[in-house]
Amino acid sequence: MIEYKNVHYRYPGNEAPVLRDLSLTIPEGDFVLVIGPSGAGKSTFLRCLNGLVPHFYGGTFSGQVRVLGRDPLHEGPRGMAPHVGFVFQNPEDQFVVETVEDELAFALENYNLPQATMRKRIEEVLDQLNIAHLRQRRISTLSGGEQQRVAIAAVLTLQPQVLVLDEPTSQLDPQAAEEVLDTLLKLNHDLGLSIILSEHRLERVVQYADHVLYLPGDGQPPLFGSPAEVMARVPFTPPLVTLGKALGWEPLPLTIKEARRFAKRVPSSGVRVQPDTRNPKLETSIEVQDLWFSYNGHDALRGVNLTIRAGEFVAVMGRNGSGKTTLLKHIVGLLKPRQGRVAVIGHDTRHASVTEIITHVGYVPQNPNALLFADTIREELDFTRRNHHLPPTDYTPLLHLLGLERHAERYPRDLSVGEKQRAALASILVADPQVILLDEPTRGLDYQQKEALTAFLQKQKRAGRTVVMATHDVELVASCADRVIILGEGQVVVDGPVRQVMTDSQVFASQVNKLFRDARFLTVEDVLRQL
Amino acid sequence: MFHPIAWSLWVVAAAMPAMLTQNPLYLSIICLAAGIVYATVRHTTPLAASWNSFLKLGLTLLAFTVPINALSVHAGRLVLFSLPPSWPLIGGPITVEAIIFGVSKALSLFTLLLIFAVFNCAVDQSRLLRWTPAFLFEAGLITSIALTFVPQMLRNAQEIREAQIIRGHRFRGLRDLLPLFVPLLTGGLERAVQLAESMEARGFGGSLESLSHGREIAVKVATAAGLLGLLGGFFSATYFPDRRALSWLLLLPSIGALLFVFRVQSKRVHRSRYHHDTWQRRDTVLAAVSAGLALTLLLVRAGARSLLTYYPYPPFSPWPSFNLWLGSAFTLLLVPALLSSFHPPRQPLNSLVAGEP
Repeated sequence: MIEYKNVHYRYPGNEAPVLRDLSLTIPEGDFVLVIGPSGAGKSTFLRCLNGLVPHFYGGTFSGQVRVLGRDPLHEGPRGMAPHVGFVFQNPEDQFVVETVEDELAFALENYNLPQATMRKRIEEVLDQLNIAHLRQRRISTLSGGEQQRVAIAAVLTLQPQVLVLDEPTSQLDPQAAEEVLDTLLKLNHDLGLSIILSEHRLERVVQYADHVLYLPGDGQPPLFGSPAEVMARVPFTPPLVTLGKALGWEPLPLTIKEARRFAKRVPSSGVRVQPDTRNPKLETSIEVQDLWFSYNGHDALRGVNLTIRAGEFVAVMGRNGSGKTTLLKHIVGLLKPRQGRVAVIGHDTRHASVTEIITHVGYVPQNPNALLFADTIREELDFTRRNHHLPPTDYTPLLHLLGLERHAERYPRDLSVGEKQRAALASILVADPQVILLDEPTRGLDYQQKEALTAFLQKQKRAGRTVVMATHDVELVASCADRVIILGEGQVVVDGPVRQVMTDSQVFASQVNKLFRDARFLTVEDVLRQL
Repeated sequence: MFHPIAWSLWVVAAAMPAMLTQNPLYLSIICLAAGIVYATVRHTTPLAASWNSFLKLGLTLLAFTVPINALSVHAGRLVLFSLPPSWPLIGGPITVEAIIFGVSKALSLFTLLLIFAVFNCAVDQSRLLRWTPAFLFEAGLITSIALTFVPQMLRNAQEIREAQIIRGHRFRGLRDLLPLFVPLLTGGLERAVQLAESMEARGFGGSLESLSHGREIAVKVATAAGLLGLLGGFFSATYFPDRRALSWLLLLPSIGALLFVFRVQSKRVHRSRYHHDTWQRRDTVLAAVSAGLALTLLLVRAGARSLLTYYPYPPFSPWPSFNLWLGSAFTLLLVPALLSSFHPPRQPLNSLVAGEP
């Protein structure tokens, strides 16, 4: 059993407390989902469970936490580790040694356990998590999903009764995230391990949770209850739940299966697929002809042909390693074709320099941390303008559009993931490119941040810019893109209007589209407009 | 395969001749032996890919050193042809001796590279690091963390470079390093904090037992005295080579004092180790053969140094000499290959556990 009693916590150097008078009780063996906007105290809440807060972070703590009758405040992280396992967000950053087996032994060695016990426990955990085949592998050669499963295994060797995970899938692609979540469900069901998980991918886990804790931040009181109860009362929910709430479906459906019976009541018209809206008269913006490229002898792109016209919003989808990022890097000229040709606004990338191309093309890489270095956002924008030989201008409209107007003078690395992503966008868009390339723009964002980004991208589309984005996020594609290109093994597998592609696909379809299987309905707005 | 310690001895035995002689005949034997050993161990390791990069590096080295030496050194009697003397640096006779010397120089570097390539394939660093003494486990851990950090840093650096290029960043002066350096540094720090948290959450630290007051003083005194004595011993051995007794009188007790410190400190660490390297009979064979070869070489160097020296320029003969006994001694480096062909490698443990074929 886990108990929080009037917990109050303030980080050192901060005025406002993150946790304010928090009290709740979690039964043993529960699967608890912790949700809420970034900065609302999800991580802090989780870190109280093993004493990392306040032992690792300092700050002022009052109130009482009890985990299985123990007091983390008194025992500290080392005392709590055999009872509470903790897994962090970024798989790469939590490994100490090189190989899987040694990583699993690390915690056991710290507790001076005898050789025989270590062996037994490691064998058991390897089997529980189905990673026995990885035991001698180097961790750096594993995929993200495998790495996160190794991280889970590395804390399970101490046989804790509670497993705490802080956004363990936010840095993973959907398939890897699925692997990790499946593992957690299995551990919860088969071993009765209590699982406390913070996660944005509600659509994937909310139906399995026993309880949901919503931390709204800004001093609002938290909500704790059954998934349906909490979902009914929180502002940002998966599209399916949003639709259910808007149409007054009761009890609120959390899965497609539960929603099907309500969906039958929505009238369906005979119209299926909308005509192709692309106007062939528009000028060509990006032209890719028979593009081949390989990394170290491994073919990443194999004969890609594409024509993208000015003003199109194109989503490039496909598995990890299918060549999405490689394609984007070719368009901006960072990579040069091994064979074939890429032309952007009339510039052949084989002959034009990157400096020339970026006056027309803005590329926002996946990791905003790679981009941001200056002391304030304003300086980041100045830097880009200066590089493009443009005079500094008034950044207020751009920052306002991105919801960053209050942060112009802040240190970019202190911002939340979503704000950082938008700061990176601002620092590219300030050069006013005609073509925008985005790589995985919603990785690590919560629903609220996603919504803000979606609104921004829709505005760009209306302003007539050409946008090409590589993404796994079907909901983002449903609400912004006009055209979807699906890559597989470096080749174009599907290329067509978004409504047609989604309705034809089982995998690359939005929740609303999966529910209705009707090309008119991709987003909640589509359905509401129709009624 | 073999125990990391046995492998380390093999590396010493193989690297010693490569450093002591430049005779291309002996070097070729060692190269060949290293190649054969690699061919037998590579099935057992996922790291075999690195061999090719070592090989490429070695061949590049050869491709550079040989022409440079041939073009720039004009000594020797066997002249192949002459370049006009007016050409700076490369003008003059091109001799067979210069070519041979270039080859033998490059070959000794190449041999060293191959030996380390074999070692790199056979023993990964983390296995070796497990053998750091208990009280130094933190140092071992730091090394192992650094080894995983470096590739991550490199990947990150590449990502940052690309991100800044597409923002129009150009490199004109030192100030332009900032956009590359700052994200790398802050990223590294953020990772370090995250790692520290993850280690703490798995019970790292606090596993050191405190000493009694008397013991603590004893350890401190022994450390200081041991280090001072060691320093004094080396000093007297260097500057008063004829007073051997004095040097040993200083060295031996100091070593004893330091060993005492090691012992006490190691006992304090309450931390077990997950070794799965077991010392087998084949390890004894490999270790004994390697140690024997190394010892022989030391004796040859001390007693019959001329057997090892090779210098092609006049007044010496350009053709290397070959001592059959010494040459056959080097073939002993094939022992790892021979031993593994007698005993097929054990089935890896995981296939037994996972029930896979």
